[in-house]
Amino acid sequence: MTTADAILTSADVVGGYGTVQILNGVTLKVARGQIVALLGGNGTGKSTMLKALSGLIKPWSGSIVFDGERIDGMRPDRIVRLGLVQVTQGKEAYPAMTVEENLLLGAHVITGRAARARGLERAYTYFPILKERRRQLSGTLSGGQLQMLCIGRGLMSEPKMMLLDEPSAALAPQVVLDIFRTIFRICRDGMTLLMVEQNVRMALLLAEYGYVIKDGVIHLEGPAEKMISDDAVRLSYLGGTVADRDAKMAL
Amino acid sequence: MSYFIDLVIVGLSIGMVYALVALGISLIYSGLDVVHFAHGEIYMLGAFIGLWIFKTFHLPFPLVLLGSMILTGLVGMFIERVFYRRILRGGGGYTVGGMAMVICGFGMSIVLQNVAFLIWGPRAVPFPVSYGMPVELGNITLPAAYVWIVAAALLLMAALHLFLKHTRLGLAVRAVAGNKEIAYLMGINVPMTISVIFGVACALGAAAGVLVGPINYVYVLMGLGILIKAFAAAVIGGFGSLPGAVLGGLLVGVIESLGAGYLSGSYKDIYAFILLIFVLMVRPAGLFGVLAKVKA
Ligand SMILES: Nc1ncnc2c1ncn2[C@@H]1O[C@H](COP(=O)(O)OP(=O)(O)OP(=O)(O)O)[C@@H](O)[C@H]1O
Ligand SMILES: [Mg+2]
Repeated sequence: MTTADAILTSADVVGGYGTVQILNGVTLKVARGQIVALLGGNGTGKSTMLKALSGLIKPWSGSIVFDGERIDGMRPDRIVRLGLVQVTQGKEAYPAMTVEENLLLGAHVITGRAARARGLERAYTYFPILKERRRQLSGTLSGGQLQMLCIGRGLMSEPKMMLLDEPSAALAPQVVLDIFRTIFRICRDGMTLLMVEQNVRMALLLAEYGYVIKDGVIHLEGPAEKMISDDAVRLSYLGGTVADRDAKMAL
Repeated sequence: MSYFIDLVIVGLSIGMVYALVALGISLIYSGLDVVHFAHGEIYMLGAFIGLWIFKTFHLPFPLVLLGSMILTGLVGMFIERVFYRRILRGGGGYTVGGMAMVICGFGMSIVLQNVAFLIWGPRAVPFPVSYGMPVELGNITLPAAYVWIVAAALLLMAALHLFLKHTRLGLAVRAVAGNKEIAYLMGINVPMTISVIFGVACALGAAAGVLVGPINYVYVLMGLGILIKAFAAAVIGGFGSLPGAVLGGLLVGVIESLGAGYLSGSYKDIYAFILLIFVLMVRPAGLFGVLAKVKA
């Protein structure tokens, strides 16, 4: 992968909270149209890196370039306008708003009435259950439906690229499969994706490229197929077993 | 019986005024997590600005109301932008800077009183607008002022509701009130939205000041009394809850009016607090307190 076809690059990103340094120089690259997995153990800085990318925290040093523009230190809403959107976790839907209000909130940067309506239809095509529930308060949804709502909400700003933080967290296996299937469909329709996942097996089946972060730096990287078959990676950093590629067919 | 109805109607209309100010205080609280102690002065400023518009441009009263709301809203946005935000930047934003903000609000209220004193002087001035002939509703005749105050306040509340429920910016306001970090991820310009919240809250306060003008004098210290009443109304309704602020305002107005009518007018200001203490004993979170916790 060359820098030319990369939509997102970060170089030596250092940052953290207050005076506590969490990211110790993260360098990664995502190509246009690619699905990239960001893996690593608990508390290694995966979510913090996503926050640096989406602008919720300002990197102390290093650079982040998205679609040809420096975005490190930029305000989050301006990054969304550039087409890079972070999908919140399911629990971060607004519980006192309806499903449809939550979705429309995702379309904040879209001002045309027709375009907003089209966005809703698109989200409902990926997640028909949301259409059925659109007048309900999102606080009444199940965990899986909330995750769908948040992914759908992320789509509403018509982004070029999405950042996902553990879309499978705390969900039943059947629901996880469902959600990953839709994520795969969204990417096939042209989305670029950087995905943090604890579910290493699923993530690597879906992704083309993987990064493993440890102690705030990229410890390992490579094509997903290689990572799956690489015993060293699996045993030292990922844990658990890696299933056969057949599962990818199921997607 | 008709005496009772009269008292209730008077109470409802003054309650609407409390409700408008309380709505502003609650809106700022739900959006910014701070109690704005200078809101009484915004009400005072609104009345003076309305009076100035009226005397300078001789516009009809509804336009005076609208004009004062817009100008005072802009003043509020200016105050938020230039003073409050700057002071809080060091303290980690509005959510963290609570105590600093309380002191800052008191300070601002003194500053605004003095500014008003310099511009308009110490005298209480009449707002020479007549609300017109008494209005007949069924078989009761009501002083026009009360009817128009209630009507105008209801209209403003309906407009606020439509704004929050059905506009893109209103949705953003609710999102910022619910959670600023998530609002940012929606692509919402959070600082700008906070300014809007402040502006809308100040416009509502100004509306209250202008509406009260013709049945009262306009003077520099008129914000003190209203702040305390509106604050009581907001707490009674459940702090941060908008329906609560309206209900609280109406309750305070009616109780006050009944108390003054049947018991004694000289203790008028006490009734609101008896009500406040009673409500807090029965429901410490206020009437809509539970709703207030699930913001947005
Ligand atoms: N808001 C915060 N303020 C201070 N420290 C934080 C904050 N959020 C996270 N941390 C700390 O930063 C470190 C990295 O957290 P981060 O959330 O990035 O980990 P993660 O890789 O996403 O882990 P997980 O798998 O648990 O989600 C942790 O030690 C955490 O305690
Ligand atoms: Mg995390």
